Amino acid sequence: MRRKIGKALVVGAGIGGIRAALDLAETGYGVTLIDRAPSIGGVLSQLDFQFPSNRCGMCKMLPMVERDAASQFCLRKGLFHENIDILTATELSAVEGEAGRFTVSLREKPTWVDAQRCIGCGLCRTVCPVTVPDDFNDGLSVRNAIYLPVPHTVPNTYVIDSVACNRCGECIKVCPTDAIRLGAGLRRGFRILVVDDEAIVRESLRDILDEEGFDVSAAASGPEALESLDAGAYHLMLTDIKMPGMDGVELLKAAKAAHPDLIVLMMTAYATVETAVEAMKVGALDYLIKPFDPDALIPMVVRPFEQLQASRDRRLDVGAIVLSTGTGYFDPSAGKGNLGHGVHPNVVTALAFERMLSGTGPYEGRLLRPDNGEPVERIAWLQCVGSRDIQADADFCSTICCMHAVKEALLVKERYGEAVACTIYYMDMRTAGKSFQRYRDRAEFEQGVRFTRGRAHSVSWDADGRNLLIRDVGLDGSCREESFDMAVLAVGQRPAPATEDLCRLLEVPTNAWGFVQTEALSACRTQRPGVFVGGATAGLKDINESVIHASAAANLASRAIHAAGGGIAPEASGEVVYRDVSRESAAVLMVLCACGEGAEKRMNADALKRRFEKDPSVQQIAVVAESCTDTGWDRIAELVAGGKANRVLIGACHPYAYIRRVRQLGAQIGLDPSLIEVVDIFEPAWAAARAGADQATDGDVDPVLAQQSTRIEMALARLKHRDPDPPPAIDVIQRALVVGGGIAGMTASVAIADHGYAVDLVEKEDRLGGNLHWLNRTLEGESLQELRDAVTQQVTQHPNITVHLGTEISGGYGQVGRFITTLRDAEGAVQTLEHGTAVLATGCREAAAQSYGHGQHPAVVTQRELEQRLADGTVDPAGLSSVVMIQCVGSREEPRNYCSRVCCATSLKHALTMKENNPDIAVYVLYRDMMTPGFAETYYTRARQAGVLFVQYETTAKPEVDFGDGGVTVRATDPILGKPVEIAADLLVLATGMTPRMAPALAEAFGVETDADGFVAEAESKWRPVDAIREGVFACGTALSPRSVVESIATGEAAAQRALRILDQKRLPAGRIVAEVRHSLCSRCERCIADCPYGARVLSPDEDRILVNPAMCQGCGSCAAVCPNGAAVVRGLREKSMMETIDAALAL
Amino acid sequence: MSTNPEPQNPDETGEAPAPDPLADVRGMVQACIQCGTCTASCPNEFAMDATPRRLWRMVLVADWESIVSSKTFALCSACYQCSLRCPRGLPLTEAMAALKRIGNRESLPANRSGNLFYRNFIRSVRRHGRVRETEFMTLYFADMKNPLLPLRFAPLGLRLMGKGKIHIQIPSKGSGKLEAIFAKVEAMEG
Repeated sequence: MRRKIGKALVVGAGIGGIRAALDLAETGYGVTLIDRAPSIGGVLSQLDFQFPSNRCGMCKMLPMVERDAASQFCLRKGLFHENIDILTATELSAVEGEAGRFTVSLREKPTWVDAQRCIGCGLCRTVCPVTVPDDFNDGLSVRNAIYLPVPHTVPNTYVIDSVACNRCGECIKVCPTDAIRLGAGLRRGFRILVVDDEAIVRESLRDILDEEGFDVSAAASGPEALESLDAGAYHLMLTDIKMPGMDGVELLKAAKAAHPDLIVLMMTAYATVETAVEAMKVGALDYLIKPFDPDALIPMVVRPFEQLQASRDRRLDVGAIVLSTGTGYFDPSAGKGNLGHGVHPNVVTALAFERMLSGTGPYEGRLLRPDNGEPVERIAWLQCVGSRDIQADADFCSTICCMHAVKEALLVKERYGEAVACTIYYMDMRTAGKSFQRYRDRAEFEQGVRFTRGRAHSVSWDADGRNLLIRDVGLDGSCREESFDMAVLAVGQRPAPATEDLCRLLEVPTNAWGFVQTEALSACRTQRPGVFVGGATAGLKDINESVIHASAAANLASRAIHAAGGGIAPEASGEVVYRDVSRESAAVLMVLCACGEGAEKRMNADALKRRFEKDPSVQQIAVVAESCTDTGWDRIAELVAGGKANRVLIGACHPYAYIRRVRQLGAQIGLDPSLIEVVDIFEPAWAAARAGADQATDGDVDPVLAQQSTRIEMALARLKHRDPDPPPAIDVIQRALVVGGGIAGMTASVAIADHGYAVDLVEKEDRLGGNLHWLNRTLEGESLQELRDAVTQQVTQHPNITVHLGTEISGGYGQVGRFITTLRDAEGAVQTLEHGTAVLATGCREAAAQSYGHGQHPAVVTQRELEQRLADGTVDPAGLSSVVMIQCVGSREEPRNYCSRVCCATSLKHALTMKENNPDIAVYVLYRDMMTPGFAETYYTRARQAGVLFVQYETTAKPEVDFGDGGVTVRATDPILGKPVEIAADLLVLATGMTPRMAPALAEAFGVETDADGFVAEAESKWRPVDAIREGVFACGTALSPRSVVESIATGEAAAQRALRILDQKRLPAGRIVAEVRHSLCSRCERCIADCPYGARVLSPDEDRILVNPAMCQGCGSCAAVCPNGAAVVRGLREKSMMETIDAALAL
Repeated sequence: MSTNPEPQNPDETGEAPAPDPLADVRGMVQACIQCGTCTASCPNEFAMDATPRRLWRMVLVADWESIVSSKTFALCSACYQCSLRCPRGLPLTEAMAALKRIGNRESLPANRSGNLFYRNFIRSVRRHGRVRETEFMTLYFADMKNPLLPLRFAPLGLRLMGKGKIHIQIPSKGSGKLEAIFAKVEAMEG
């Protein structure tokens, strides 16, 4: 793959980080992707099922074009991309420079297992005597001190939890590759000074820390401690605060003055916590409150010890930084803790519950009561735990929990049906997303999930402690107590761990709750140029939004690098020319890895050699020790160079771990990497060893040897028949078409044009700006008129953008790389454009009001009308005494059964404006569920504080409006008072929501599918949220689904970034495994066209034959399966190779 | 907003003195989200005619008539459970106390018994420096003007007396000593 000059750093390797890294890598930038955790995947490594399919599908994020540059296996297992360097257990430790020219320092934390040597055999785990609660399953199961941080990743490298580890050394004895570094000697080299005037504290601390393997001394007073510090080099001092004579703080100051690198921990009683906090300001690392548990002390000492052991900072030059550090969670056991979490085992968090449903979870996917292992029959989900709770410092909504609860309830219902009763306690059910409302309705009306409006007050349990009792208040005011088997807490978001430190390091401001503060009118820009956020760093988001924001952040990062000159010229890299072996018969060099000394006897080298020597395609068999090391690889390279082999088969472990090496080897020896294959021959041996079975000695029935032979034989069959030709490629017209000149379309145009590609922006109206012509400002108070003018100017003045006003699309055809589109302007003049990709930003309009007397009475207006009249002064709040707003008019019920996301915020905006201008005005908002996700919640609080009155209504009892004697009277029922209320209003405002404006002809021209409501159907709502199903066509803004201006901008940037993957190359290589047509056999029945899930096949009218677009084809083989004549074949997976592989597998 | 059947705007009914007596209380509970945590926390909720949540709603919609006919706030024992648990952090116990003060000031009929009980309790404290149960109850019965009332309290009084919880006469050590404090408060409150 070609590579540009310019690198980016992505911090956090969860879903957002992976998306941002892939987006940058696919456009040719070098990316360093780091994560604090020892594995990638973030929270999604724990979540198996995603809305709306209730399956995973994360792999759909992998590159669709130039597929061979990346791994093509389950993304939850791992990720490889030629341009991405992944560093786990690594943190950002320093940043210098400015956008385009940052120098960052990265610090790797020790995991005590050498990742280069660990082969994941798991023998260490079988001998580890320590068990601790497993965080991966939220403590519902246990793990050993040496463990796999994520059970399903490859390569599966073990790590040691050095806090839990007792350093017994058993694992070292069994490790076959000598990968474990317990660092016992290192601990003895870590010198600790304990200072306390009480001998008993001093001595017990000395014993505890000595037991942990550290070198400990003690001092009884401040002066004595200073003397000791001067005499010997200490790393850490643990000092009491209250001591006679010199107190701990004075000691701290004196010690820090003389030994600035000394790490100091303070010990204090409750009474002096404030002093301890003060001490942290003058240089103490942390403090402990006496009396303390050794379990709390040890991690505090181990952490700085590990920091000190961290290998030297790695320095790196990068052009931009993307933060995607994910989220933290509220601890429901903390604070008032009246929900029983941490007390009753059947009260779990939503994340823990998700683990219970997982096959790799604590109960292997069975739904069992944690207290006694019996089946669960009644489950309650409690929403807003640590969200929307000012007492928990959370005047925000955590956005995702409502849908998370609905999903979990649906998963349970789909598996267990009537057998498990599901109840969700909620205040407002926030289904503010595309298709969320219908998903909720499915849960409620089809699957029988019970939705109870009310905040659960407390969780207690019955007399024998068996069943949970959940107390809440019904709408009729009655206090109720209901019995459940389990309670699932929707714990709210908190900033991800260490966000504060990271922001300080980057000089990026945080908001009132410690989340990264983004710039006004941008979801991804931070105050510091060159530093962007994607994912949940600036507030929790669902996968769809995290992925959109990550792509948008990648786009901003790409522009920052490009602007600094990093993207213009491709990096000069010697193009590798592979040997042409297409006319040679297969000659395989078989290399068997002998691994290290501990494993050698398990690999049966002699037996395997005897078995495969006779195979005519095997030219040579060699045994190489430690093939994964540099020495081993050099030996393999020598062997290929010395012989005449044109295929290499390496029998070792972990094929995935060798991907990069195989490519390097290929380049080194001039052999196409697809002709080199690694097969895992060790796993059968390790499985037997873990099970405790000795290897059979009676020769030919050894089951381990049989499995090893089969694996090699299968690989041989694949390798022998592999097509050695280079993969096909398509030509790309490096020009983009953007349809729609609203904010999303304009943003996308600039985002593409900034990279130097020509953009044609087509707008139906005779001016740019779309809905920003009537939208005045945002809820946060930012001027949208200024935004419109600024972006319009950027577009019209951009040298690479051609604007076509008053122009419509009259037709089009073509495929990714080359679309041909016809434009027609107002005069009827027709113009044809050729372009490589298309971005559709056709937007939305406010839905027409069809009820509540709109159009009959002048006092009834829509939100849009109010926005305009407030702006032009035709509505003056000072002249009004009572205003009623009705939410969800014609929305969130069939036929428009979706939430438009912006109307609740708009009502709050208008209500607050009116209250500001006239505090005496009475404003009533009649709502179903207030949709104020994220930090918009604060405006809901503000509106209440300003005296706006909110009245909830149900669809079964909608408000009624009549117009007796000139005025408007609104009648509704107040659910809390249980009484009808009657409001005389001067103004009635209807929130009608949005409807899409995508014309069917336009959708047809680009082959875009729309959903039942007319919004563009994404290829995948979670994983490819701005891609249309058809490759090369993207959508952004409200054409996709209702969203705010800031969100529309983010989708515009994201769509641009996705388009750039294609525009960036003149010739776009496809994957090696793609479908082909044998035209002589093809009867043109077109079944393959109908069955191709990627729309990659067309019947060419000119040539009268089926054509496959190799960039669109993903090699799935549907065509080959459906073709009645065997005319559809998949390159790289030919019949002969498949059949021989199957034969080999069955020959067991 | 008005509640049916007839408008209850305090200004229109003319019963409530101007300015809006509920303004203070409304300020305290304005950010209420009607979640009901207060009601579920309340140990006296079973005896209340309107639950705390409904009472706050009445305050927000200025349903003066329903408020004055409710005994809910008189039954608040100021345990602070609701204030502790309210997710909005609203000063609910203070709001209850403010309503009690309004009830006292306006001599609301629904709160007559409660008001007289509190008033005579304090009278006894003011006089002796601590409460004298017998005197306090005598004053209360006298104010209530219900000859059957003492009979209703008699069994409870006898039981408490039998356990030594209340006394016929206790030596008064603090007579008149609190007078200055009470007088000062009165002067301060106007």
